[in-house]
Formats: sequence, structure tokens, C-alpha cells
Amino acid sequence: MTNVADPDIRDTGRIAHPRNHLPGESSMWFFVIGDLLIFGVYFIGYVYYRGLDPDLFLQSQARLNLDIGAINTVILLTSSLFVALGTSAARNGKVPEAIRLFGLAFAFGVAFPVMKAFEYIPEVTAGLTPGTNLFFMYYYVMTGLHLCHVTLGLVILGFVIRSLRITVKPRMSFVESAATYWHMVDLLWILLFALLYLMR
Amino acid sequence: MSDTVVTAPEFPAESAPPRPRNRKRDQWIAFWLVPIFFNLFGVVFVPLSWMMPPRPPNNPTPAIVEFMQSHNLLIACAVLTVCFGLASVGNAVYLIQIKRMSVSPVFRYSVMMGAMTGTIVGMLFPMFCFGLGAFRSGYEPSTLSMLYDFGYLAFIGSLGCFCVMWMSFGLAIILDKNNVLPKWLGYYTVWQYVTELMAAPVWISKSGPFAWNGLMTFWFAMVLYVSWQIIVYVCIYRAIKNQPDDTLETAWLHAEVAPSDPRPKADA
Repeated sequence: MTNVADPDIRDTGRIAHPRNHLPGESSMWFFVIGDLLIFGVYFIGYVYYRGLDPDLFLQSQARLNLDIGAINTVILLTSSLFVALGTSAARNGKVPEAIRLFGLAFAFGVAFPVMKAFEYIPEVTAGLTPGTNLFFMYYYVMTGLHLCHVTLGLVILGFVIRSLRITVKPRMSFVESAATYWHMVDLLWILLFALLYLMR
Repeated sequence: MSDTVVTAPEFPAESAPPRPRNRKRDQWIAFWLVPIFFNLFGVVFVPLSWMMPPRPPNNPTPAIVEFMQSHNLLIACAVLTVCFGLASVGNAVYLIQIKRMSVSPVFRYSVMMGAMTGTIVGMLFPMFCFGLGAFRSGYEPSTLSMLYDFGYLAFIGSLGCFCVMWMSFGLAIILDKNNVLPKWLGYYTVWQYVTELMAAPVWISKSGPFAWNGLMTFWFAMVLYVSWQIIVYVCIYRAIKNQPDDTLETAWLHAEVAPSDPRPKADA
């Protein structure tokens, strides 16, 4: 909220965008809000079916690996922090720092699917598959759908790093759109973690 | 005199009679066939055969046999056999608009191939399965149950083909710099295809929210799909309407009327 009217020209000579605008492109917000609504409907569906058979859901939930779930939460939150710092750095024209921070965010982001593999593989080999019961169907479908979002987010972060590397002046609307998307992925995971792993 | 000789080839269109707004007739015909097709589809699937909303996967065998050999299903399959080809004409309106976008042709080909494979698996296969039951009497109940499973799984569980199609369509809209279709429609398309991924569990579940008639795999996806389909056609309508005549693929047909210019004649 500091540079309301004038573009901020820093010592690097780059121009930061005015800050009184919606971060990112408005169409990305359309996507984010819609995606959250869709996941919201899925969550309502999950809670409804959980209410029909709470014992089954609780017993199945106890078989999930809570540790990896918690580690993944920390991983995504840390990644999101680096994205926020990277966006701020890019906005202030500190491109090399932004590249470093987005690189770190990307590295943490990559750790998420790796940890997920460590979670899925022992579960599947132990016979806990989507066909086991309704809880595991929900678990695999929702976390799988979220994993698709993470993968897409990593591709987008990769494009952000590329764009920061090849252009002199960062395209802030793109960087902010990517950051918005990544934060949404983060938020969705926190909700999923609470619903699937923690809810008693 | 010399003026007229020189200027005539430069403005050949002036010599042609002014055409009314009919240069997009091909696109409009393809476009208006779509609601006809979907309405026909809707009538056939819902009130005629009650194939949709999907019957339960764990239907008892007598109920399956009765459905598979019903006269209404026979009429539905006959109508589908006749009007099935309209789907490809409907897809033409997407492809024409994607061609105007500033994106790689890979997107257009992916949409085309996705539509083709999706239509074969998602429409032709079910039509054959239900058609066999309806037109050929004498099959064992177990065979009819298999055809029933095959038909519904092909119809609802084949959405992966459409996923690639809509993903390419959505990405093309998002990446396009010519603003042929609004950006938000691209994102809406992305939701739409993501919800179609939800159809994968129908292969596993036989009842509950993930069965082929379930809340998650059918009803949510259907609500989003139907609203998306209507909105996308409104956007396509506007895109066709706003398309300048000189960007039409058939523009060269109208431009070639240059009677006194020797070069086009040599080309022709």
C-alpha cells in the first residue's frame, strides 16, 4: 500500500507496479475462487458421507501417515513463504534475489510429490487402495486432485523462474498470478489435511 | 481512362457486387446444429430411454434385461445412429475459433483428436452396447449385464479422452493473445476438465458417491458441464459474430474476384 499513485523507480532502474491493484490477472482470481468453490462442494460431500458412517471414516483415518501429512504441510507453507518473498523481491526490482527465492519455493514444491510418493506407496502395498472403502476413495481422489494442482503449480513456478531469467523487467502480473495460484494450492492442502488427517 | 485501368486491379472487391452478411453461413450452420444435436441427445437420453440419469451399476439382472430389451431404448439407439454425425459438425465451431488463436497448432490437433477418440469411446461404444441389447434379442442375461456395464462405463468412464480435448481448448484460450475467447472461459474450461477427471473412480465403485450415478462423479460433474457447455456456446456465438470478414478462412474465395488482374488468373 506504499506506492499508490506513482510507479516506484528503484536504484536498479526497474519499475514496480502500483500497489493498489488486484494482485495478478483478474481471470486468475476467477479461476481461484471457482476452484475453491468446487473443492468446497467436494468437502461438503465428504463431510456428508463421513456423517453417514463416522466409525468407518475414523478407523480408516487412523491408518494414514500423519507424520508425512504434517511434514508436507510444513513443506507447502515454507514454499508459499518463499513465493511471497520472491514476489515481493520481484516487485522491488531485485530480480536475482527473486530468482533465488522462487528457486527455493520450487525445490520445496518438488519435495511435496516426493513425500507423497513415500506416503502412497506403503499404503498401496499394504492394500489400502481406492477400492478399500469410501474413506480411501475420498482420500485418493482428493489428494490426487490436489497433487495435480501441485504439479501444475510447479510448471507455473518453472515458467516464473524462466520469465525472471530472460526478461530485464519482470512481468509482475504473471508473477503475482502464479503466486496467487500457489497460495491457493497451499490453502487447499491445509483444508485437506484438516479434513482427511485430523478431523475427529 | 488510364486511371480506371490502373485502379481497377488494386480494388477488385469494388467491382464485385456487395455481398450481404452471409460469409459466415458455414459457421452459423455448424453452430446452430449444436443446440439441435444437444436437444435431440437430451430427449433420447432422458425422457425417451431414461438412460440418463444413469441407472445404478448394481441393478438386479431382471431390471437390466428389461431395460436393455425395451422398445424405447431401441428407438433411442435408432435416433442416435442416424444423428450421431452431428457431433463432429458441432466440434467444427471450436476448431475454427482455435485456428484464429495465436497458439501452436498442436492445441487444435489435440482438440480434434480428443474429440474423435472421445466420441468413439464415449458415444459409439455405448451406442453399440445398448444397440446390441435393443436390436438383437436372444442374448443371455449375463451378456446383457456385460453390455450394460460396458455401455455405461464407456459413456461415463471414458472422460479421459475429453479431458485432453478440453485441457487443450482451455490452455489455448488462456495462452491466446488475439483474445478470440475471454480468458475466464479458459479457466472455466480448466475446472470443467478437472471435474471430468473425477469420473475415473467409476471403474472401481459400484455404489455411493463415486459410482457412475454418484454425487461426486456424475451429478457435480454434470452440473458444471451443462452450465459450461451453455456458456461456451454463448462465447463461441459472440466470437463468430465479432470475427472480421477478412480473417475468415474462406476470405480468399471472396478476394479472388479480380477479373482484370492477370496475376490472380495466372495463379488460379
